[in-house]
Formats: sequence, C-alpha cells, structure tokens
Amino acid sequence: MTANDVLPGRAPVIKGKGSGPGGRGRARGGPGGGRGRGRAGRFALFGRFRFLYVSPALVFVAVLLYLPFLWTAYLSLTTYDGLGSPAFTGLDNYRRLLEDEALLTSIRNTLLWVAGTTLLPVGLGLLVAVLSYDLKGGSWFRLPFLLPYAMSGAGLGLIWGFILQPEGMANQVLSFLGMPGGNTEFLQDGPRNTIAMIVVWAWQQLGVNMLLFVVGLQSIPKAPIEAARLDGASGWRMFRHVIWPLMRPLTTVVFGLALVASLKTFDIVWVMTQGGPGRTSETLAVTMYRDVFVADEYGYGSAVAVLLTTITGLASYIYLRRQAGREGT
Amino acid sequence: MMSSKRLRVTALTMGALLVATGCGSGSDGSGGKKSELKLYNDKGAWTPFFEQMGALSKQQNGLGVKPVGYTDEPTYTAFIKTSFRTKVKPDLFTWTTGGRLEEIVKQNQVADTSDIWRAGVQSGDLSAALQKYYTVKGKQYCVPLNTAYWGMFYNKKIFDRYKLKPPTTWAELMKAAETLKSKGQVPFHHSSPTSLFSFVWFEQLLAGTDPDLYERLSNGQASYTDPGVVKVMEQWKSMIEGGYFSNPGDKNDPADHFKSGKAAMALMGTWFNTSMTQRGLKQGKDYGFFMMPNVAPSLPKRSLVFESGPLCSLRKAPDGEASTKFLKWWVTPPAQEKWANTRGDVSGNPKVKVADPALDKITKEAGGAGNRLVLRYFEAAPPPVLTEALSGFDGFLGKPGTYLDVLKKIQKVNEEYWKTHEDGS
Repeated sequence: MTANDVLPGRAPVIKGKGSGPGGRGRARGGPGGGRGRGRAGRFALFGRFRFLYVSPALVFVAVLLYLPFLWTAYLSLTTYDGLGSPAFTGLDNYRRLLEDEALLTSIRNTLLWVAGTTLLPVGLGLLVAVLSYDLKGGSWFRLPFLLPYAMSGAGLGLIWGFILQPEGMANQVLSFLGMPGGNTEFLQDGPRNTIAMIVVWAWQQLGVNMLLFVVGLQSIPKAPIEAARLDGASGWRMFRHVIWPLMRPLTTVVFGLALVASLKTFDIVWVMTQGGPGRTSETLAVTMYRDVFVADEYGYGSAVAVLLTTITGLASYIYLRRQAGREGT
Repeated sequence: MMSSKRLRVTALTMGALLVATGCGSGSDGSGGKKSELKLYNDKGAWTPFFEQMGALSKQQNGLGVKPVGYTDEPTYTAFIKTSFRTKVKPDLFTWTTGGRLEEIVKQNQVADTSDIWRAGVQSGDLSAALQKYYTVKGKQYCVPLNTAYWGMFYNKKIFDRYKLKPPTTWAELMKAAETLKSKGQVPFHHSSPTSLFSFVWFEQLLAGTDPDLYERLSNGQASYTDPGVVKVMEQWKSMIEGGYFSNPGDKNDPADHFKSGKAAMALMGTWFNTSMTQRGLKQGKDYGFFMMPNVAPSLPKRSLVFESGPLCSLRKAPDGEASTKFLKWWVTPPAQEKWANTRGDVSGNPKVKVADPALDKITKEAGGAGNRLVLRYFEAAPPPVLTEALSGFDGFLGKPGTYLDVLKKIQKVNEEYWKTHEDGS
C-alpha cells in the first residue's frame, strides 16, 4: 500500500511540482494580470530591460564564482608557487593525483564522511522526529537535540578536540565508569579519527535535520493518514507506505544538502586535527587547502579542487536525477 | 514616462561611473610621504608590542606604526604574495629567513638592505654571524625582527624535588630523564600533532649529532635516507617508545602543559619566556633554562639552534624612503632595547643589555665562541619539504615504527624540489 493507493487523486499535491491547486496559475498571472493596459505596458517595457536587472547579480556571480573556477581549472594544468607566472605542465598534476597515497586516504575519508553524515545526522534526525512529533510535549524531547546546533563549527571542533584528547574527558569518563576503552586515542589514528569527528558532527547536525523532518511531518495532510488508519495501517507500515512517500520532497532536499555538505567537509577537521596526524584524517577539501595554502603548490592543489568540484557536481547531479526520476513515476 | 526615462538614465550613469571607478587606478593615498607605516605581520599576539614600538618610533623619528596582525600563517603568506601583484602593498612586513626569503628575493620584490647591514655590522648593532642568513646572492635583504635561541626549559620545582641539576652533557640529560621516568614523571614535553613544532626533536638530535649533515640536508646535498639521518630517527623512536615524551595528542597549550608539571622539560625557543611570564611563572624560581648539550660529545662546538625572523620592506614600497628610515632605526640600541624588554626576549643587537639577567646570560653565552649556530629547521628546509616533513613527523610521533616510510616520503619531495632549484650551498 502506498499513498497513491490510499488517495490516488491527491498524489499531485504531495509531489511538490506545483504549490498546491492553482499555485502555478497565480504565479504566472502575476501582479497586473488583467488589471488594465497601462500597467501591463509598463511591465512589457521593463521586460526589455530584464537583463539589466539581473546583470548586477550575474556580474557578481561571474566575477566571484565562474572566473575563479576557470582560473583554478587553468592553474591545475600548471606548476605554480604563487610567485611569478604559472608554468604550463599539461596533465602532470592529474597524473600525480593518481599516484598520491595521501589523496587516496583523503578520498577514503571523504567517502566515510558522505556515508556517515547521510546516515547518522539525517537518519537519527528522522528517527527522533518520527518518534516525537505527535507526542504530547514532544518539543521538550526535541530541545536537547537542537541545542548543539547553536554552536559554531569552530567552537564545536575546539571543545570536542579537548574532550577527545588522550587524557581528555571522554577517556576519563570511560575509566571512571570502569568501561573498556579508557585509553582510546580517538584522534591519533586513522580512520578512527575520521569516525570520531563524524560522530561529533552528527551530534551537532542531528537537531536541525530533526527540525526539518518535524516541519515536514507537520505539513503532511491529515486526510491520507486518517484514510490509511481506517484501512488498518499503523506503526512501521504507516511510516513506510504513507508517511515516508508523502515526505519525499523534503527528504530529497535534506539528503541532498547533507551530501553536498559532507563532500566539502573542512572546518571541523581543520580545527580538530588539521588533517593529521600524518595526513590520516584529511578530506578532499582539507587536502586542497593544504596543498594550495600550506605547501604553496597552487597547481597541484587546483587539480585537487577540480577533482572535488567534479565529484560534488556529479554526485549532486546523479542524486537529483534519481530523485526526480522517482518522483516522476 | 519622462520620469521613468530619467530614472533609467540616472541609474545607468551611476552604474557606469561605479564601474569606471572600480576599473580605474584609484587613489588610496598610499603614495607620497608617509607619517605612519603599516606593519603587516603573522604575529597577531604581538600587536601591543608593535604599538609600543610605533609610539617610540613616532617620538624618535616621526614615523608611527600601525600593526596589521594575522594569526593564520597560510592566509598571511597568501596576502603577502598577492600584494606583489596588486596595489595594496605593505610598508613593512614580517617573513622568515631561509628558502622562503630566497623565494621572494628572486622575484625581485624585496628592498635591498645591504647598506643598513654594512653600517650595522661596523657599528656593532648587527651581528656578523647573522648576516649570512639575510644574504641572497651577495646582497642583504630585510633586518632581524627577532632572534631566538632554542634550548631546554625545565620545571625547577620538579628538578629540586628529585635533586636534579641542569645537565651539561647528553649522558647527564639522559640520566636525569631516566631518574624522572623512574619516579613516574614524564621527562619531556612533546608538541601536539596539530602543532607546527613536530620537527623540534628531529632538528635537535640531528644538529647535536652531525651538524654538517644537518646543513647538507637543508641545502639539498644530502638525502633523508642517509644512514646518519636514519640513525637519528631510530634514536628518536627509541626515546618515544621508552616513554620519555608526553603524549603528542595533548591539546593543551605547551605553556599550560609545562606549567602543570605534566612534563618536567620542554624544548623551546627563548620566546617561551614570554609565555611563562604571562602565566605568572618566574625564571630562577619556577623554571630555568639550559642550552642543549650535543648528542655526540666529540663535536668541537655546541650546536645551538636559533631562529631569526626578518622585518622587510618591498622594493616598490608605497614610501620606500620612510620604510628604509624605519628599518635603519629598528636595529639601533634604543629601539632594540625597548623591543627585547617589552617582549621579555633576547635581542638581535649584541650591544643591547636585556633587563632580565637570565636572558642576558643566554645572549652572552650564545654569542660565545663555543657555539655553532644552526638555523632552525622551519627556516632551513625549503617550503614543500618542510610541509611534507611536518606531516611526516606528526604521523611518526603516533606510529614511530613508520620512520623509514616517513623519511622516504620526505626524500621524494626533497628530490623533486632540488631538481628545479639551485643548490643552496
């Protein structure tokens, strides 16, 4: 049983393609629709200048985003230390990428971040939201999960860096409770350090994902739920076949955001380990920063940047295409 | 209709003017005679000291100083390098000696200070021993901003408790460490993995065993897989495995770590005195300092690691005359006395008397004939090699068994670097 089985006629409402009945029509008609010629004429006149209106934003994006990207792509084909002029070396940097052990570690860690941050904060956020949304006083249950979100990324890294250090609070608590692992070196060895940082990140991000899911749950129309309940659905079946499909537009966005955020993970790693020790916790974004700004290898670092952009672009494209395909069915 | 047309014409004119202004040469008032110099630096915490120097300079030669302090090294380096190509140029800026100074001098960006050095060495305001670190292809660039010697800070209370005295030989140092270890006291502090200082013990052990090899390694004339280097790594490894060091994963500030007594000794630059006094510790009462003895007793001179950070001006500085005037003043005794004493550190000017008697003793001892000055690894190693080495040593601290891999990786970068760079000998 799916939502469509319950109320086939309402399915378009939840597909998110329009903004409810008549939503599109209203948007198209826009202000002035059928309100007299003079006004329509003025809009048509401004219509000729429409590019003028968007041009400041366009110039802004082109100068600050597209041009630097093209420059980075060019630099990736050169050897350059930030002084003098870049020397063109063709695909040498890309060949070097293939042989670079540290880059492989970095890719492995980035994949761990992708898996970890899409599973933990998003999955747990959904779980807490579902468990608490129709409870009396549910907001009190949700509050503690939301509080860590108020912290800045750098502050989060700094505090957890201290908690997870060899003689830090985490180990002290474990030892005090007589639990095993009281001497764990959370941040000193890979991939344990990456996993520890993912857990820290999940601790902070869970709340906001939970909040988004609660909003999603609250915006689900009551009718299909009631209908499903009358048909005898409850518990897991209700969630799997009614609630989950109704929330798809929202989950697409939440997973998509988590995916992109995980691919560009930088701040928390930089604050907690700076990618170390011995480059064991670097992500692609950290490797890029290190190669460009610490090692002054602008060419090679640019090649890492191009690789990261390509991976992020491809992953987002594939993911969104898949989701769009699903919604189309 | 008329008003809308006028509106559009006005908007377009303003837009065009804005664009033209943006594209034009602009006038930021940076040219011409200056009475205040902007001093860009990567020592954000020193802002009050720079301001005090600015006040003194204003009083003595009419040039004020406005410090622009960065705390993030990569951002600072990127800014300075970018300034070479843009119109926003610093009047004065701090940098490092060694490969990095050579790099920017070769770009023909740095103002020649040969005249200041000639006069300074003659008058005794500048040390002849330091001159070679400021020399690129026979000419001098920049002047010393600060000079520091590296040695061992020790917790006096812990030393007194176990009746230990500052060692004068390597054997005595190891014996003291063994005594401390047997009492459950960690002998040496080790930098945390995220710190810039993972190289410190490598440098000290190598310079104290074979200073010639250390220098050849810095100049690209020796390999990181040289048996001498491997031996040093093995010694470092045995010390780590022997429990001589604090856990490098400790995130506490080294000064707080040292103050807490977690480690009895910390190998640091003399600038560590500033951190000590900021924490209310007193030299002679709470802590002491001794120069590191050589590992190899047969060496004729004691290898003394030092660092000297330059203060530079650009060849195309906004007001070159004013910048040069300031640099000339900077090396004189009145300026240097103030500079050393406000920070509680030694001075690059041998004539300056430092108020702190212990620091004064260090300065005098360092200048003695029994020492061989060895440039700190941070400045001595070329930038890409240094970056690889810092990551490598950082990983090695947690997994000492990987030392050969670490050396091979550094050597790979070392070889690459020297293929395209002239031998620094």
